[in-house]
Amino acid sequence: MGVFEFISGRKKQAPGQLAKERLKVVLVQDRIKLSPELLELIKADLLTAISRRLEVDEQNVQISMARENRWDRLQADMPIKRQKVSFEWDPPAHTTAANVLRGKVQVEVEREEQEHS
Amino acid sequence: MDSRVITITSGKGGVGKTTTTANLGTALAMQGKKVAVVDSDIGLRNLDAVLGLENRIVYDIVDVVEGQCRLRQALIKDKRLPELYLLPAAQTRDKNAINSVQMEQLCQQLRREFEFVVIDSPAGIEQGFRNAIVGADEIIIVVNPEMASVRDADRIIGLVEAAGKPEPRLIVNRLRPEMVRRRDMMDVTDVLEVLGVDLLGIVPEDDLIIIATNKGEPVVYDKRSRSGRAFINAAHRIMGDEVPLDEVAEAPTLVERLRRLMGFGPALAERRVRS
Repeated sequence: MGVFEFISGRKKQAPGQLAKERLKVVLVQDRIKLSPELLELIKADLLTAISRRLEVDEQNVQISMARENRWDRLQADMPIKRQKVSFEWDPPAHTTAANVLRGKVQVEVEREEQEHS
Repeated sequence: MDSRVITITSGKGGVGKTTTTANLGTALAMQGKKVAVVDSDIGLRNLDAVLGLENRIVYDIVDVVEGQCRLRQALIKDKRLPELYLLPAAQTRDKNAINSVQMEQLCQQLRREFEFVVIDSPAGIEQGFRNAIVGADEIIIVVNPEMASVRDADRIIGLVEAAGKPEPRLIVNRLRPEMVRRRDMMDVTDVLEVLGVDLLGIVPEDDLIIIATNKGEPVVYDKRSRSGRAFINAAHRIMGDEVPLDEVAEAPTLVERLRRLMGFGPALAERRVRS
């Protein structure tokens, strides 16, 4: 950052960079005709699968497609709700602690407010 | 004869296909290769003018395909180089005057006579484009570092793949190093990251290209021109020679350094030689 840039506090995304980011998105849409409806279906499928194990903050789930190096990438951003979780755990065979060798492990996580913005 | 048919295409118009074809063809012929450059842009003939051969056309590609003349009669010999020939496009016909089968046969015919057949494709993705790639062993895509051109290039890459051709290589044309340094233009690495194909050459924007075209003399004849040297390097890479990709690498001038210091350009850490 040069002197003037520093003084004025200017720090925007460079046009060259912006072009690249816009291209990545538009090329995915060009290449595979993935309609918003289909994307919603995929989102629902993912939520169903993930929700069996973790409680997902459904309001803030984001699904998008992007492209890099000729690969189309499905990106899912799923914030997890922090709350008391309880799940069954199969301890690895090498675990020596007797109290976890058999049975269920309870994990207690203190309930907190959502931090996701 | 061991022969290679190379098609120069782009999707988008005006990115420099014809200039690239003329210069790569000329550069290969300068290396002693026997070269035919073919204008497959029927109805919009231009390769002849870029090469300065527009006054010598008697027969054209459609005449050959339709059997109005023999291939040898239609080929125009470039007097400056003993091994360079042009097969011009027809100007008064449209791009459906030739079909894919005829074009493939024509390529086979040319293979018997030449080491390199360099085909200038029309813009677009219709029949003319399909004809241009049908007989090709290799495809070179010309792209400018701007959105519309890169987007079209991606489409072409998909169509080339679908046609069962090997992965095309890229010539990034009309790069403006100044704008890249200011980060106002996509860099070569950005274009490659988005398109994910191999690079064959980088050609900087150069006024000398317009001057060369005005004279009908490809810019590779001008040894001082940066664009000419870039095309010569690309031609060497086509022949399989190892040439470092340093076409646009050059030390920043004093004015550029000052500007950068004042904050009108990228910071020191971002200023590096790009390849």
